[in-house]
Amino acid sequence: MAVTPATGKPSSRDQKRAQFARYKEDVKERGKPFYPYAMFHDTVMSLVVVSVIVGLAVIWKWTAWAPHHSGLHQGILGPEYTEPADPGTTNFVPRPDWYFYFLFYLLRIFKWPESVFLGTVGVPTIALVLLLAVPFYDLRRERRLLHRPVAVVGAVLVVLSMATLTWKGATASEALASEVIADVPHWVKAEKLPPKAVPGAKLFAVAGCTACHTYLGVGSSNLGAPDLTSIGTRNLGIDFQVRHLKCPSCVNPGSPMPKFASLGDKRLNELAQFLEASKGKQ
Amino acid sequence: MAVTTRRKPTRAEIRKERMQMAINYPLDWVEERSGLVGGIRYFLFRKVPSDTNWMQTLGSATLTAFLVQVITGVILAMYYKPTPGDAYGSIQNITDQVTLGWLVRGMHRWGASVFIILMFLHMGRVFLFGAYKYPRELNWIVGVLILVMGMMEGFTGYLLPWDQTAYWATVVGINLNGTAPIAGPWLAQFLRGGQEIGADTLTRFYSMHMLLIPGAIIGLITLHLYLVIRLGVTSPPWSKEAAGMERAAATNGNLRPGLTRPATRGSAGRDSD
Repeated sequence: MAVTPATGKPSSRDQKRAQFARYKEDVKERGKPFYPYAMFHDTVMSLVVVSVIVGLAVIWKWTAWAPHHSGLHQGILGPEYTEPADPGTTNFVPRPDWYFYFLFYLLRIFKWPESVFLGTVGVPTIALVLLLAVPFYDLRRERRLLHRPVAVVGAVLVVLSMATLTWKGATASEALASEVIADVPHWVKAEKLPPKAVPGAKLFAVAGCTACHTYLGVGSSNLGAPDLTSIGTRNLGIDFQVRHLKCPSCVNPGSPMPKFASLGDKRLNELAQFLEASKGKQ
Repeated sequence: MAVTTRRKPTRAEIRKERMQMAINYPLDWVEERSGLVGGIRYFLFRKVPSDTNWMQTLGSATLTAFLVQVITGVILAMYYKPTPGDAYGSIQNITDQVTLGWLVRGMHRWGASVFIILMFLHMGRVFLFGAYKYPRELNWIVGVLILVMGMMEGFTGYLLPWDQTAYWATVVGINLNGTAPIAGPWLAQFLRGGQEIGADTLTRFYSMHMLLIPGAIIGLITLHLYLVIRLGVTSPPWSKEAAGMERAAATNGNLRPGLTRPATRGSAGRDSD
Protein backbone atom coordinates (compact mmCIF):
# COMPACT_ATOMS: atom_id res chain seq x y z
CA MET A 1 0.00 0.00 0.00
CA ALA A 2 1.35 3.41 -0.95
CA VAL A 3 1.85 5.63 2.09
CA THR A 4 2.41 9.39 2.13
CA PRO A 5 5.84 9.77 3.75
CA ALA A 6 5.03 12.71 6.05
CA THR A 7 1.95 11.48 7.88
CA GLY A 8 2.07 7.73 7.48
CA LYS A 9 -1.58 7.77 6.32
CA PRO A 10 -2.62 5.83 3.21
CA SER A 11 -2.54 7.96 0.03
CA SER A 12 -5.83 9.38 -1.19
CA ARG A 13 -5.84 6.94 -4.11
CA ASP A 14 -5.63 4.03 -1.68
CA GLN A 15 -8.33 5.55 0.50
CA LYS A 16 -10.62 5.75 -2.51
CA ARG A 17 -9.93 2.16 -3.45
CA ALA A 18 -10.50 0.98 0.11
CA GLN A 19 -13.78 2.88 0.26
CA PHE A 20 -15.01 1.32 -2.97
CA ALA A 21 -14.03 -2.16 -1.73
CA ARG A 22 -16.03 -1.44 1.46
CA TYR A 23 -18.95 -0.29 -0.71
CA LYS A 24 -18.93 -3.55 -2.68
CA GLU A 25 -18.80 -5.53 0.57
CA ASP A 26 -21.62 -3.55 2.20
CA VAL A 27 -23.88 -3.89 -0.83
CA LYS A 28 -23.21 -7.63 -1.00
CA GLU A 29 -23.99 -8.04 2.70
CA ARG A 30 -26.80 -5.59 3.33
CA GLY A 31 -28.07 -4.69 -0.12
CA LYS A 32 -31.39 -5.75 -1.60
CA PRO A 33 -31.85 -7.32 -5.04
CA PHE A 34 -32.70 -4.88 -7.85
CA TYR A 35 -35.72 -7.03 -8.75
CA PRO A 36 -38.31 -6.56 -7.34
CA TYR A 37 -37.43 -3.73 -4.91
CA ALA A 38 -35.73 -1.01 -6.98
CA MET A 39 -37.44 -2.15 -10.17
CA PHE A 40 -40.86 -1.53 -8.62
CA HIS A 41 -40.04 2.13 -8.02
CA ASP A 42 -38.46 2.47 -11.47
CA THR A 43 -41.65 1.06 -13.01
CA VAL A 44 -43.91 3.45 -11.08
CA MET A 45 -41.74 6.41 -12.13
CA SER A 46 -41.70 5.27 -15.77
CA LEU A 47 -45.49 5.04 -15.81
CA VAL A 48 -45.66 8.60 -14.46
CA VAL A 49 -43.31 9.74 -17.25
CA VAL A 50 -45.37 8.09 -19.99
CA SER A 51 -48.59 9.53 -18.52
CA VAL A 52 -47.10 13.04 -18.48
CA ILE A 53 -46.01 12.69 -22.13
CA VAL A 54 -49.47 11.46 -23.19
CA GLY A 55 -51.04 14.25 -21.12
CA LEU A 56 -48.95 16.93 -22.84
CA ALA A 57 -49.81 15.48 -26.26
CA VAL A 58 -53.54 15.57 -25.42
CA ILE A 59 -53.40 19.14 -24.05
CA TRP A 60 -51.47 20.24 -27.15
CA LYS A 61 -54.00 18.70 -29.51
CA TRP A 62 -57.07 19.65 -27.54
CA THR A 63 -56.27 23.33 -26.93
CA ALA A 64 -54.77 23.99 -30.37
CA TRP A 65 -57.16 22.09 -32.61
CA ALA A 66 -60.51 21.94 -30.83
CA PRO A 67 -61.56 25.64 -30.90
CA HIS A 68 -61.30 26.16 -34.68
CA HIS A 69 -60.47 22.70 -36.04
CA SER A 70 -57.15 24.07 -37.24
CA GLY A 71 -53.63 23.04 -36.26
CA LEU A 72 -52.52 26.66 -36.81
CA HIS A 73 -54.41 27.88 -33.74
CA GLN A 74 -52.28 28.90 -30.78
CA GLY A 75 -53.26 26.59 -27.91
CA ILE A 76 -51.78 26.45 -24.40
CA LEU A 77 -48.70 24.66 -25.73
CA GLY A 78 -48.49 26.50 -29.05
CA PRO A 79 -49.87 25.67 -32.51
CA GLU A 80 -49.51 22.16 -33.95
CA TYR A 81 -47.75 23.67 -36.94
CA THR A 82 -47.19 27.19 -38.29
CA GLU A 83 -47.48 28.31 -41.94
CA PRO A 84 -45.45 26.28 -44.45
CA ALA A 85 -41.78 27.23 -44.71
CA ASP A 86 -41.27 30.13 -47.12
CA PRO A 87 -37.69 31.26 -47.75
CA GLY A 88 -39.13 34.38 -49.45
CA THR A 89 -40.80 35.85 -46.35
CA THR A 90 -38.62 38.05 -44.24
CA ASN A 91 -40.87 39.10 -41.38
CA PHE A 92 -40.70 35.87 -39.38
CA VAL A 93 -39.12 36.02 -35.94
CA PRO A 94 -36.80 33.03 -35.51
CA ARG A 95 -37.26 31.14 -32.27
CA PRO A 96 -35.74 27.82 -31.17
CA ASP A 97 -37.42 25.19 -29.00
CA TRP A 98 -37.68 26.25 -25.33
CA TYR A 99 -34.72 24.25 -24.08
CA PHE A 100 -32.42 26.32 -26.29
CA TYR A 101 -33.69 29.63 -24.86
CA PHE A 102 -30.78 29.89 -22.44
CA LEU A 103 -28.32 29.72 -25.36
CA PHE A 104 -30.57 31.99 -27.43
CA TYR A 105 -30.70 34.67 -24.76
CA LEU A 106 -26.95 34.49 -24.23
CA LEU A 107 -26.70 36.04 -27.71
CA ARG A 108 -28.45 39.19 -26.55
CA ILE A 109 -25.81 39.74 -23.90
CA PHE A 110 -22.88 39.74 -26.31
CA LYS A 111 -22.69 42.32 -29.07
CA TRP A 112 -21.65 42.11 -32.69
CA PRO A 113 -18.92 42.03 -33.83
CA GLU A 114 -16.40 42.14 -30.96
CA SER A 115 -17.85 39.56 -28.59
CA VAL A 116 -20.68 37.75 -30.41
CA PHE A 117 -18.35 34.80 -30.84
CA LEU A 118 -18.36 34.46 -27.03
CA GLY A 119 -22.14 34.08 -26.99
CA THR A 120 -22.43 31.67 -29.92
CA VAL A 121 -19.48 29.38 -29.26
CA GLY A 122 -17.20 30.68 -26.50
CA VAL A 123 -19.34 30.52 -23.35
CA PRO A 124 -21.23 27.31 -24.31
CA THR A 125 -17.94 25.54 -25.10
CA ILE A 126 -16.32 26.62 -21.83
CA ALA A 127 -19.45 25.55 -19.90
CA LEU A 128 -19.44 22.15 -21.62
CA VAL A 129 -15.76 21.54 -20.89
CA LEU A 130 -16.27 22.55 -17.23
CA LEU A 131 -19.25 20.16 -17.04
CA LEU A 132 -17.37 17.24 -18.60
CA ALA A 133 -14.41 17.81 -16.29
CA VAL A 134 -16.38 17.96 -12.99
CA PRO A 135 -15.00 14.60 -11.69
CA PHE A 136 -11.46 15.75 -12.47
CA TYR A 137 -11.37 18.97 -10.45
CA ASP A 138 -13.69 17.79 -7.66
CA LEU A 139 -11.37 15.10 -6.37
CA ARG A 140 -12.36 14.79 -2.71
CA ARG A 141 -14.11 11.67 -1.45
CA GLU A 142 -16.64 13.76 0.50
CA ARG A 143 -20.23 13.33 -0.77
CA ARG A 144 -22.32 15.02 1.96
CA LEU A 145 -23.76 18.33 0.72
CA LEU A 146 -22.99 20.40 3.82
CA HIS A 147 -19.36 19.40 3.50
CA ARG A 148 -19.18 20.48 -0.17
CA PRO A 149 -19.95 24.24 0.03
CA VAL A 150 -18.19 25.13 -3.23
CA ALA A 151 -20.05 22.44 -5.18
CA VAL A 152 -23.41 23.50 -3.69
CA VAL A 153 -22.87 27.22 -4.33
CA GLY A 154 -21.62 26.46 -7.86
CA ALA A 155 -24.66 24.28 -8.60
CA VAL A 156 -27.09 26.89 -7.26
CA LEU A 157 -25.46 29.63 -9.38
CA VAL A 158 -25.58 27.48 -12.52
CA VAL A 159 -29.24 26.55 -11.99
CA LEU A 160 -30.21 30.17 -11.23
CA SER A 161 -28.42 31.59 -14.27
CA MET A 162 -29.82 28.93 -16.62
CA ALA A 163 -33.32 29.47 -15.22
CA THR A 164 -32.96 33.25 -15.62
CA LEU A 165 -31.67 32.98 -19.19
CA THR A 166 -34.47 30.53 -20.10
CA TRP A 167 -37.09 32.82 -18.57
CA LYS A 168 -35.66 35.92 -20.28
CA GLY A 169 -35.53 34.04 -23.58
CA ALA A 170 -39.15 32.92 -23.15
CA THR A 171 -40.43 36.41 -22.38
CA ALA A 172 -38.17 38.31 -24.82
CA SER A 173 -40.26 40.87 -26.66
CA GLU A 174 -40.77 40.41 -30.34
CA ALA A 175 -41.09 43.39 -32.64
CA LEU A 176 -44.27 42.96 -34.67
CA ALA A 177 -44.17 44.46 -38.17
CA SER A 178 -47.57 46.13 -37.68
CA GLU A 179 -46.34 47.97 -34.59
CA VAL A 180 -42.94 48.88 -35.96
CA ILE A 181 -44.32 50.49 -39.13
CA ALA A 182 -46.30 52.95 -36.97
CA ASP A 183 -42.94 54.34 -35.84
CA VAL A 184 -41.69 55.18 -39.34
CA PRO A 185 -43.02 58.82 -39.35
CA HIS A 186 -41.23 59.32 -36.04
CA TRP A 187 -37.98 58.01 -37.56
CA VAL A 188 -38.31 60.37 -40.53
CA LYS A 189 -38.67 63.32 -38.16
CA ALA A 190 -36.03 62.31 -35.62
CA GLU A 191 -33.37 61.37 -38.14
CA LYS A 192 -34.40 63.97 -40.78
CA LEU A 193 -34.59 61.20 -43.39
CA PRO A 194 -34.74 62.43 -47.03
CA PRO A 195 -37.84 61.32 -49.04
CA LYS A 196 -35.84 58.76 -51.03
CA ALA A 197 -35.09 56.90 -47.76
CA VAL A 198 -38.76 56.53 -46.72
CA PRO A 199 -39.67 53.44 -48.84
CA GLY A 200 -36.60 51.74 -47.37
CA ALA A 201 -37.65 52.71 -43.84
CA LYS A 202 -41.08 51.11 -44.38
CA LEU A 203 -39.44 48.00 -45.79
CA PHE A 204 -37.04 47.91 -42.83
CA ALA A 205 -40.02 47.98 -40.46
CA VAL A 206 -41.88 45.06 -42.07
CA ALA A 207 -39.10 42.86 -43.46
CA GLY A 208 -38.14 41.35 -40.10
CA CYS A 209 -34.97 43.44 -39.58
CA THR A 210 -36.21 44.50 -36.12
CA ALA A 211 -36.37 40.86 -35.01
CA CYS A 212 -32.63 41.18 -34.38
CA HIS A 213 -31.66 44.85 -34.86
CA THR A 214 -32.81 47.89 -32.90
CA TYR A 215 -33.53 51.32 -34.43
CA LEU A 216 -34.18 54.34 -32.20
CA GLY A 217 -35.08 51.97 -29.38
CA VAL A 218 -37.56 49.91 -31.44
CA GLY A 219 -36.99 46.21 -32.11
CA SER A 220 -35.20 43.57 -30.08
CA SER A 221 -31.48 43.12 -30.03
CA ASN A 222 -30.91 39.45 -30.87
CA LEU A 223 -28.03 37.23 -31.90
CA GLY A 224 -25.61 40.07 -31.19
CA ALA A 225 -26.98 42.18 -34.04
CA PRO A 226 -25.89 45.86 -33.82
CA ASP A 227 -28.12 48.91 -33.33
CA LEU A 228 -28.67 50.60 -36.70
CA THR A 229 -29.80 54.05 -35.52
CA SER A 230 -26.66 55.71 -36.89
CA ILE A 231 -25.32 53.08 -39.27
CA GLY A 232 -25.13 55.77 -42.00
CA THR A 233 -22.36 57.62 -40.17
CA ARG A 234 -20.00 54.80 -41.09
CA ASN A 235 -20.44 55.77 -44.78
CA LEU A 236 -20.22 52.21 -46.00
CA GLY A 237 -21.83 53.11 -49.32
CA ILE A 238 -25.00 51.94 -51.13
CA ASP A 239 -23.07 49.32 -53.03
CA PHE A 240 -21.66 47.74 -49.88
CA GLN A 241 -25.07 47.75 -48.15
CA VAL A 242 -26.69 45.92 -51.08
CA ARG A 243 -23.90 43.35 -51.26
CA HIS A 244 -24.11 42.86 -47.47
CA LEU A 245 -27.89 42.37 -47.50
CA LYS A 246 -27.59 39.84 -50.32
CA CYS A 247 -25.04 37.72 -48.50
CA PRO A 248 -23.95 39.01 -45.06
CA SER A 249 -21.41 36.24 -44.43
CA CYS A 250 -19.69 36.90 -47.79
CA VAL A 251 -18.87 40.47 -46.71
CA ASN A 252 -18.58 39.84 -42.97
CA PRO A 253 -17.16 36.35 -42.54
CA GLY A 254 -18.97 34.44 -39.79
CA SER A 255 -21.99 36.79 -39.65
CA PRO A 256 -25.07 34.89 -38.41
CA MET A 257 -27.45 37.21 -40.33
CA PRO A 258 -29.68 35.44 -42.90
CA LYS A 259 -29.41 36.36 -46.60
CA PHE A 260 -32.01 38.78 -47.91
CA ALA A 261 -31.29 38.35 -51.63
CA SER A 262 -34.91 37.22 -52.14
CA LEU A 263 -36.09 40.84 -51.67
CA GLY A 264 -34.82 41.70 -55.16
CA ASP A 265 -32.46 44.43 -56.36
CA LYS A 266 -34.99 47.27 -56.31
CA ARG A 267 -36.05 46.77 -52.71
CA LEU A 268 -32.51 46.04 -51.55
CA ASN A 269 -31.51 49.37 -53.06
CA GLU A 270 -34.32 51.12 -51.14
CA LEU A 271 -33.15 49.50 -47.90
CA ALA A 272 -29.57 50.57 -48.60
CA GLN A 273 -30.74 54.18 -49.21
CA PHE A 274 -32.49 54.15 -45.83
CA LEU A 275 -29.50 52.68 -43.97
CA GLU A 276 -27.06 55.14 -45.53
CA ALA A 277 -29.40 58.05 -44.66
CA SER A 278 -29.61 56.98 -41.01
CA LYS A 279 -27.13 59.33 -39.35
CA GLY A 280 -28.51 59.11 -35.84
CA LYS A 281 -30.81 61.52 -33.98
CA GLN A 282 -30.47 64.98 -35.52
CA MET B 1 -36.56 -34.88 -8.86
CA ALA B 2 -39.74 -36.82 -9.28
CA VAL B 3 -37.72 -39.93 -10.26
CA THR B 4 -36.54 -40.45 -6.66
CA THR B 5 -40.05 -41.12 -5.32
CA ARG B 6 -40.76 -44.85 -4.90
CA ARG B 7 -44.38 -44.88 -5.96
CA LYS B 8 -45.39 -44.35 -9.54
CA PRO B 9 -45.66 -40.59 -10.33
CA THR B 10 -49.21 -39.38 -10.69
CA ARG B 11 -50.44 -37.90 -13.91
CA ALA B 12 -50.31 -34.40 -12.44
CA GLU B 13 -46.70 -34.90 -11.44
CA ILE B 14 -45.74 -36.10 -14.88
CA ARG B 15 -47.49 -33.14 -16.46
CA LYS B 16 -45.73 -30.72 -14.12
CA GLU B 17 -42.36 -32.23 -14.94
CA ARG B 18 -43.02 -31.98 -18.66
CA MET B 19 -44.10 -28.36 -18.30
CA GLN B 20 -40.88 -27.55 -16.49
CA MET B 21 -38.84 -29.27 -19.15
CA ALA B 22 -40.68 -27.39 -21.89
CA ILE B 23 -39.83 -24.10 -20.20
CA ASN B 24 -36.30 -24.97 -19.18
CA TYR B 25 -35.21 -26.56 -22.40
CA PRO B 26 -35.24 -23.40 -24.55
CA LEU B 27 -33.79 -21.33 -21.71
CA ASP B 28 -30.97 -23.83 -21.23
CA TRP B 29 -30.47 -23.94 -24.98
CA VAL B 30 -30.03 -20.15 -25.16
CA GLU B 31 -27.91 -20.05 -21.99
CA GLU B 32 -25.56 -22.76 -23.25
CA ARG B 33 -25.00 -20.91 -26.52
CA SER B 34 -24.90 -17.28 -25.30
CA GLY B 35 -24.84 -16.91 -21.51
CA LEU B 36 -27.68 -14.38 -21.93
CA VAL B 37 -29.99 -15.97 -19.35
CA GLY B 38 -27.27 -15.77 -16.73
CA GLY B 39 -26.61 -12.16 -17.77
CA ILE B 40 -30.25 -11.17 -17.36
CA ARG B 41 -30.42 -13.04 -14.04
CA TYR B 42 -27.33 -11.14 -12.87
CA PHE B 43 -28.90 -7.83 -13.98
CA LEU B 44 -32.20 -8.50 -12.18
CA PHE B 45 -30.90 -10.01 -8.95
CA ARG B 46 -27.75 -7.93 -8.45
CA LYS B 47 -27.71 -6.16 -5.10
CA VAL B 48 -28.30 -2.43 -4.77
CA PRO B 49 -27.81 -0.47 -1.50
CA SER B 50 -30.84 -0.91 0.73
CA ASP B 51 -31.22 2.86 1.18
CA THR B 52 -31.71 3.82 -2.48
CA ASN B 53 -34.22 6.55 -2.90
CA TRP B 54 -36.97 7.84 -5.23
CA MET B 55 -34.53 10.34 -6.76
CA GLN B 56 -32.58 7.37 -8.07
CA THR B 57 -35.43 6.41 -10.39
CA LEU B 58 -34.68 9.44 -12.60
CA GLY B 59 -32.15 7.52 -14.69
CA SER B 60 -34.58 4.78 -15.65
CA ALA B 61 -37.27 7.42 -16.17
CA THR B 62 -34.96 9.12 -18.69
CA LEU B 63 -34.46 5.78 -20.43
CA THR B 64 -38.25 5.36 -20.61
CA ALA B 65 -38.60 8.82 -22.18
CA PHE B 66 -35.94 7.87 -24.74
CA LEU B 67 -37.77 4.62 -25.56
CA VAL B 68 -40.98 6.62 -26.09
CA GLN B 69 -39.03 8.78 -28.58
CA VAL B 70 -37.72 5.67 -30.37
CA ILE B 71 -41.14 4.02 -30.70
CA THR B 72 -43.07 7.18 -31.70
CA GLY B 73 -40.20 8.17 -34.00
CA VAL B 74 -40.35 4.85 -35.86
CA ILE B 75 -44.10 5.27 -36.36
CA LEU B 76 -43.71 8.89 -37.55
CA ALA B 77 -41.03 7.80 -40.03
CA MET B 78 -43.62 5.53 -41.68
CA TYR B 79 -45.74 8.57 -42.64
CA TYR B 80 -43.23 11.42 -42.89
CA LYS B 81 -41.79 12.46 -46.27
CA PRO B 82 -38.46 14.31 -46.05
CA THR B 83 -38.69 16.56 -49.12
CA PRO B 84 -39.43 20.31 -49.11
CA GLY B 85 -42.48 19.66 -51.32
CA ASP B 86 -44.05 16.95 -49.18
CA ALA B 87 -42.77 17.42 -45.61
CA TYR B 88 -45.31 20.03 -44.48
CA GLY B 89 -48.21 18.12 -46.08
CA SER B 90 -47.16 14.85 -44.47
CA ILE B 91 -47.00 16.55 -41.05
CA GLN B 92 -50.50 17.92 -41.61
CA ASN B 93 -51.63 14.45 -42.68
CA ILE B 94 -50.14 12.84 -39.56
CA THR B 95 -51.66 15.50 -37.31
CA ASP B 96 -55.11 15.75 -38.88
CA GLN B 97 -55.85 12.53 -40.82
CA VAL B 98 -53.93 9.45 -39.65
CA THR B 99 -55.71 7.55 -36.85
CA LEU B 100 -54.12 8.68 -33.55
CA GLY B 101 -51.41 10.36 -35.60
CA TRP B 102 -51.85 13.51 -33.48
CA LEU B 103 -51.13 11.44 -30.36
CA VAL B 104 -47.97 9.86 -31.78
CA ARG B 105 -46.67 13.21 -33.04
CA GLY B 106 -47.67 14.96 -29.82
CA MET B 107 -45.91 12.32 -27.74
CA HIS B 108 -42.79 12.69 -29.91
CA ARG B 109 -42.90 16.50 -29.78
CA TRP B 110 -43.41 16.74 -26.02
CA GLY B 111 -41.52 13.56 -25.16
CA ALA B 112 -38.44 15.42 -26.44
CA SER B 113 -38.94 18.13 -23.81
CA VAL B 114 -39.57 15.54 -21.09
CA PHE B 115 -36.43 13.64 -22.16
CA ILE B 116 -34.31 16.80 -21.94
CA ILE B 117 -35.80 17.81 -18.55
CA LEU B 118 -35.24 14.31 -17.14
CA MET B 119 -31.63 14.28 -18.36
CA PHE B 120 -31.00 17.54 -16.50
CA LEU B 121 -32.79 16.30 -13.35
CA HIS B 122 -30.88 13.01 -13.44
CA MET B 123 -27.63 14.93 -13.83
CA GLY B 124 -28.60 17.18 -10.91
CA ARG B 125 -29.29 14.11 -8.74
CA VAL B 126 -25.90 12.59 -9.62
CA PHE B 127 -24.23 15.91 -8.81
CA LEU B 128 -25.99 16.32 -5.44
CA PHE B 129 -25.17 12.73 -4.46
CA GLY B 130 -21.53 13.19 -5.47
CA ALA B 131 -22.09 10.02 -7.49
CA TYR B 132 -19.65 11.12 -10.22
CA LYS B 133 -16.68 10.60 -7.90
CA TYR B 134 -14.24 7.69 -8.01
CA PRO B 135 -14.72 5.20 -9.63
CA ARG B 136 -17.65 6.61 -11.66
CA GLU B 137 -15.89 9.51 -13.46
CA LEU B 138 -16.15 7.85 -16.87
CA ASN B 139 -19.90 7.36 -16.50
CA TRP B 140 -20.35 11.10 -15.81
CA ILE B 141 -18.58 11.85 -19.09
CA VAL B 142 -20.75 9.35 -20.98
CA GLY B 143 -23.82 10.96 -19.41
CA VAL B 144 -22.81 14.49 -20.47
CA LEU B 145 -22.21 13.19 -24.02
CA ILE B 146 -25.75 11.72 -24.04
CA LEU B 147 -27.06 15.14 -22.92
CA VAL B 148 -25.24 16.86 -25.80
CA MET B 149 -26.53 14.27 -28.28
CA GLY B 150 -30.05 14.77 -26.89
CA MET B 151 -29.83 18.52 -27.53
CA MET B 152 -28.59 17.78 -31.06
CA GLU B 153 -31.67 15.59 -31.58
CA GLY B 154 -33.76 18.59 -30.57
CA PHE B 155 -31.97 20.86 -33.05
CA THR B 156 -32.18 18.45 -36.02
CA GLY B 157 -35.77 17.39 -35.28
CA TYR B 158 -37.01 20.99 -35.11
CA LEU B 159 -36.54 21.48 -38.89
CA LEU B 160 -38.49 18.41 -39.99
CA PRO B 161 -42.08 19.85 -39.92
CA TRP B 162 -40.80 22.36 -42.54
CA ASP B 163 -43.03 25.15 -41.30
CA GLN B 164 -42.00 28.77 -40.74
CA THR B 165 -40.90 28.20 -37.12
CA ALA B 166 -38.80 25.24 -38.19
CA TYR B 167 -37.26 26.93 -41.20
CA TRP B 168 -36.25 30.25 -39.65
CA ALA B 169 -34.99 28.77 -36.38
CA THR B 170 -32.76 26.49 -38.44
CA VAL B 171 -31.54 29.33 -40.70
CA VAL B 172 -30.34 31.20 -37.62
CA GLY B 173 -29.15 28.05 -35.83
CA ILE B 174 -26.94 27.05 -38.75
CA ASN B 175 -25.60 30.61 -39.08
CA LEU B 176 -24.73 30.57 -35.38
CA ASN B 177 -22.75 27.36 -35.84
CA GLY B 178 -20.97 29.20 -38.62
CA THR B 179 -19.53 31.78 -36.23
CA ALA B 180 -17.20 29.21 -34.64
CA PRO B 181 -13.55 29.86 -35.48
CA ILE B 182 -11.90 27.63 -38.11
CA ALA B 183 -14.47 24.80 -38.10
CA GLY B 184 -17.50 27.15 -38.15
CA PRO B 185 -17.93 27.86 -41.88
CA TRP B 186 -17.19 24.23 -42.68
CA LEU B 187 -19.74 23.06 -40.10
CA ALA B 188 -22.43 25.41 -41.43
CA GLN B 189 -21.73 24.23 -44.98
CA PHE B 190 -21.94 20.59 -43.86
CA LEU B 191 -25.26 21.11 -42.04
CA ARG B 192 -26.81 22.93 -45.01
CA GLY B 193 -25.47 20.52 -47.60
CA GLY B 194 -24.91 23.47 -49.92
CA GLN B 195 -25.19 27.24 -50.05
CA GLU B 196 -28.91 27.46 -49.24
CA ILE B 197 -31.25 25.59 -46.91
CA GLY B 198 -33.24 23.26 -49.13
CA ALA B 199 -33.89 19.64 -50.05
CA ASP B 200 -30.36 18.53 -49.19
CA THR B 201 -30.54 20.20 -45.76
CA LEU B 202 -33.82 18.47 -44.98
CA THR B 203 -32.63 14.95 -45.90
CA ARG B 204 -29.37 15.61 -44.09
CA PHE B 205 -31.18 16.64 -40.90
CA TYR B 206 -33.58 13.69 -41.27
CA SER B 207 -30.70 11.24 -41.60
CA MET B 208 -28.86 12.70 -38.61
CA HIS B 209 -32.06 12.88 -36.57
CA MET B 210 -33.14 9.28 -37.07
CA LEU B 211 -29.95 7.34 -37.85
CA LEU B 212 -26.69 8.98 -36.82
CA ILE B 213 -27.53 10.63 -33.48
CA PRO B 214 -29.99 8.00 -32.16
CA GLY B 215 -27.44 5.32 -33.04
CA ALA B 216 -24.81 7.18 -31.05
CA ILE B 217 -27.24 7.67 -28.14
CA ILE B 218 -28.14 3.96 -28.07
CA GLY B 219 -24.43 3.05 -28.00
CA LEU B 220 -23.73 5.57 -25.23
CA ILE B 221 -26.75 4.41 -23.17
CA THR B 222 -25.52 0.81 -23.44
CA LEU B 223 -22.11 1.87 -22.14
CA HIS B 224 -23.78 4.00 -19.44
CA LEU B 225 -25.86 1.04 -18.18
CA TYR B 226 -22.91 -1.36 -18.37
CA LEU B 227 -20.97 0.99 -16.10
CA VAL B 228 -23.93 1.40 -13.71
CA ILE B 229 -24.23 -2.38 -13.37
CA ARG B 230 -20.47 -2.90 -13.07
CA LEU B 231 -19.86 -0.13 -10.52
CA GLY B 232 -23.14 -0.24 -8.64
CA VAL B 233 -25.58 2.42 -7.44
CA THR B 234 -24.46 4.92 -4.78
CA SER B 235 -26.20 5.32 -1.43
CA PRO B 236 -27.60 8.77 -0.62
CA PRO B 237 -24.71 10.69 0.98
CA TRP B 238 -26.76 11.59 4.09
CA SER B 239 -27.75 7.98 4.74
CA LYS B 240 -26.69 6.67 8.17
CA GLU B 241 -26.07 3.28 6.61
CA ALA B 242 -24.50 4.44 3.33
CA ALA B 243 -22.70 1.58 1.65
CA GLY B 244 -18.93 2.10 1.79
CA MET B 245 -18.78 4.57 4.68
CA GLU B 246 -16.19 4.17 7.44
CA ARG B 247 -16.98 1.24 9.75
CA ALA B 248 -17.08 3.25 13.01
CA ALA B 249 -19.81 5.49 11.66
CA ALA B 250 -21.83 2.61 10.25
CA THR B 251 -22.55 1.11 13.69
CA ASN B 252 -24.85 4.02 14.58
CA GLY B 253 -28.18 2.46 15.39
CA ASN B 254 -31.60 3.77 14.52
CA LEU B 255 -31.53 2.65 10.89
CA ARG B 256 -34.38 3.98 8.79
CA PRO B 257 -35.72 1.47 6.27
CA GLY B 258 -34.92 2.61 2.74
CA LEU B 259 -37.13 2.16 -0.27
CA THR B 260 -35.70 -1.15 -1.37
CA ARG B 261 -35.42 -2.53 2.14
CA PRO B 262 -38.51 -4.47 3.17
CA ALA B 263 -39.49 -3.44 6.68
CA THR B 264 -39.83 -6.99 7.98
CA ARG B 265 -36.30 -8.04 7.11
CA GLY B 266 -34.79 -4.65 7.87
CA SER B 267 -32.20 -5.60 10.50
CA ALA B 268 -31.27 -9.04 9.20
CA GLY B 269 -27.65 -8.47 8.20
CA ARG B 270 -26.70 -5.86 10.76
CA ASP B 271 -25.06 -7.98 13.42
CA SER B 272 -22.10 -8.67 11.18
CA ASP B 273 -21.09 -4.99 10.99
